[in-house]
Amino acid sequence: MADQANFEADAMQYAPQLYSAALRMTRNPADAEDVVQETFLKAYRAYDSFEAGTNLKAWLYRILTNTYINRYRKAQRRPSEVELGELQDLYLYKRLGEESGASESAESQVLEQFVDTDVVQALESLPDNFRIPVLLADVEGFAYKEIAEMLDIPIGTVMSRLHRGRKALQKKLWHLAEERGITGKAS
Amino acid sequence: MSSSCEHAVEQIYYYLDGEMSYVRRMRIRWHLRRCGGCCRAFDFEEQVKMMVRQKSRTEPSAELIQRLRTLIREEAGEDTGP
Repeated sequence: MADQANFEADAMQYAPQLYSAALRMTRNPADAEDVVQETFLKAYRAYDSFEAGTNLKAWLYRILTNTYINRYRKAQRRPSEVELGELQDLYLYKRLGEESGASESAESQVLEQFVDTDVVQALESLPDNFRIPVLLADVEGFAYKEIAEMLDIPIGTVMSRLHRGRKALQKKLWHLAEERGITGKAS
Repeated sequence: MSSSCEHAVEQIYYYLDGEMSYVRRMRIRWHLRRCGGCCRAFDFEEQVKMMVRQKSRTEPSAELIQRLRTLIREEAGEDTGP
């Protein structure tokens, strides 16, 4: 059992990353602030049910994710369960390879040219059911099992959404690279 | 692309996510040591994963952090209040 009096000292260190995750979920700073405030309030109230010594970060993210999903459900009536078409494995790598020929380091050089707004835009372009697993795995570094518990879905579903979400993210990055002319195409 | 390359690419995310048994991991590593093409592809995917992590953070305002602290203290105050 965790002591509520320690909540601020224990949990505030995660506030910046929780806000960042909330912003990627809501795609809007005002909504992200609301979701984070609600998360902290719920977490504080439930803190005596948190088992001290277990993963506090995962516990907070579970509350954050559920807060977001519940608000979204209220607003939209149902969560978006959009399907993504099947995409090729190694999507971005293969597209870049086709453009730049055999040059060894060309693909990595293209990656260096992506700026934060490109990555944010690509992430935010994913439908909810793919965006959240990608966010939790790639940005926050949670294990498949932890994500399955947070979203209350089977681990196999986490894997397929994560893998397909990543390919869709790469497709979006590829389009952004094309728009900006940074595909490494020999001119 | 050989069948062992196809197998490696199918497993790429489990490998990069560390969601693989030791034996399977060693099998992939064995293949990567011998296959420059797959090695390059795996490196690239790992770089994409790192890039997503590094280039997608947004810092909250100092004001929000302060507001969260105030929120917790007010809530705590209510608990111990008269």
